[in-house]
Amino acid sequence: MTSRRHRSPSPAALDDDDLLFEILLRLPPQPSSLPRASLVNKRWRRLASDPGFLHRFRIHHRRSAPILGCFVERAHGISFEPTLEAPNRVPPGRFSLRFEEGDRFGLLDCRHDLVLVHNQTRCKFLVWDPITCEQHHLAIPAGFDSETNEISGAVLRAGGDVQHFEVVFVRYDDIRHGQAAVACVYSSEMSLWSDLISTPLPWLSPFDNTISTAHPAVLAGDALYWFVTAGSDEILEFDLWKHKLAVIQLPVHVYEEHFTFRRTDSGVLGFLHVSSLTAQLWQRKTDCEGVASWELGRTIELDKLLSMNSENRWYSMICFAQDNNVVFLLTVVGLFAVQLQTLEFKKLPQTNIGSYCLPFESVYNADIGGEHGGADLFHNA
Amino acid sequence: MATREAGKKMIMLKSPDGMEFEVEEAVAMESQTIRKMIEDDCADTAILIPNINSKILSRVIEYCNKHVPTTGATGAAASDTVAPAALAEDLKIWDAEFIKVNRATRFDLIQAASYLNIKGLLDLTSQTTIDTISDNSLEEIRSFLSTKNDYLPEEEQTIRRENQWAFQ
Repeated sequence: MTSRRHRSPSPAALDDDDLLFEILLRLPPQPSSLPRASLVNKRWRRLASDPGFLHRFRIHHRRSAPILGCFVERAHGISFEPTLEAPNRVPPGRFSLRFEEGDRFGLLDCRHDLVLVHNQTRCKFLVWDPITCEQHHLAIPAGFDSETNEISGAVLRAGGDVQHFEVVFVRYDDIRHGQAAVACVYSSEMSLWSDLISTPLPWLSPFDNTISTAHPAVLAGDALYWFVTAGSDEILEFDLWKHKLAVIQLPVHVYEEHFTFRRTDSGVLGFLHVSSLTAQLWQRKTDCEGVASWELGRTIELDKLLSMNSENRWYSMICFAQDNNVVFLLTVVGLFAVQLQTLEFKKLPQTNIGSYCLPFESVYNADIGGEHGGADLFHNA
Repeated sequence: MATREAGKKMIMLKSPDGMEFEVEEAVAMESQTIRKMIEDDCADTAILIPNINSKILSRVIEYCNKHVPTTGATGAAASDTVAPAALAEDLKIWDAEFIKVNRATRFDLIQAASYLNIKGLLDLTSQTTIDTISDNSLEEIRSFLSTKNDYLPEEEQTIRRENQWAFQ
């Protein structure tokens, strides 16, 4: 074996593709990183567009994925509204989805790079990967496949599995189960729905809107949570391991438009509620005997934080970006993104985001040579 | 030769320039490459570490010594008694000092971390390299990494057009 003392160390180390691969993996997860790196030279471009590298790049940064923007419902499909600034502002057309004329649909959830859509006309769920453009269509579980918009659901990749996904369907059912919330889990690995799981929701009348479709589910620990609109300040919990539904009482009365779920930095369920211009951050605590209760954590005086004057004091929370711990607040003067740990905030550029949207937190590889013949484009030049 | 000292199993690591380093087996096993050799029973005698000179190997051992989970007399991991957050903060400060080396040494450490498969050291060295160049212009990156632009002007234009938004 030759001692490396006799070689020029700096370029030699980077002559090895494996080492350059390792270094490039650590480029920031911002969308412009790889297109810019690919401009250094042909070798960098070849590596930065290699499918194996792109796969590793996404896995390496999956816990630090930026908020690329938000998905919003439009008349004929789902459009993407970028919220990052240049040079990381991915054009809307890269992630937009169009439905067939006349199809009614609901945008339900977005998590782990996947978007869940309920096609109400065709009684199907669509699981869409905006980055790879893959689409999976699932029939709604038998017995619930009438044309309705009262279905909620969530999508996730369980346990860091990057190949498979699960869809959790929830809705209120007053016919088969005598005023109950029912849930069912689809596993893409098994290609089938689980048995129905239910829990009583006795206080509801059949005419009430029930499990909120205005708030997407939050994933905290091993459970998903939904807001129950017509309940007396309750939320619905679905335990992903035990496949059990439960109803949890909130500690205060909340208004739906002033409420959003959140997940604390330690992964615990929480929520944020604006009352009298003050945002209260609540979190769920479990004591050593396993008894859970709510605890009021920080309070944030929004008008002081955002320097609002008295005429502009109106807030509506439109969504929570779980991985970045950021809440989107709609105000009279525009849309703000507030990081709940640091309280850093920024006013977002003019967007067409309305009162309902789903944040898209993901690592976007861009399209380096993808549509133009691949990175080999220049190899024979 | 593998020996025993104060109840701890020792391993001998040899660099190609003839230096020998006696280290605790647990420290050596921070390297997944060495761990595999030991577990496959290929490490009865001194282990030759090819391509890593004694200067770099001693730095790698220093890193592994600091990062190995230490055990007390009861066998309980030290991290059970020290707050994990404080321990992590201490290691972060130590890492920041450790990586204050010149460019050539850093690239040698990347190569050693990759060959020996020491994830933490590979993360530290690679991330520091990226952090150094990420705010630089293309020309500065090329100069820092001693690499040349091999694109024709029209090829460069094509790449910019592919994802025009990323160059605004």
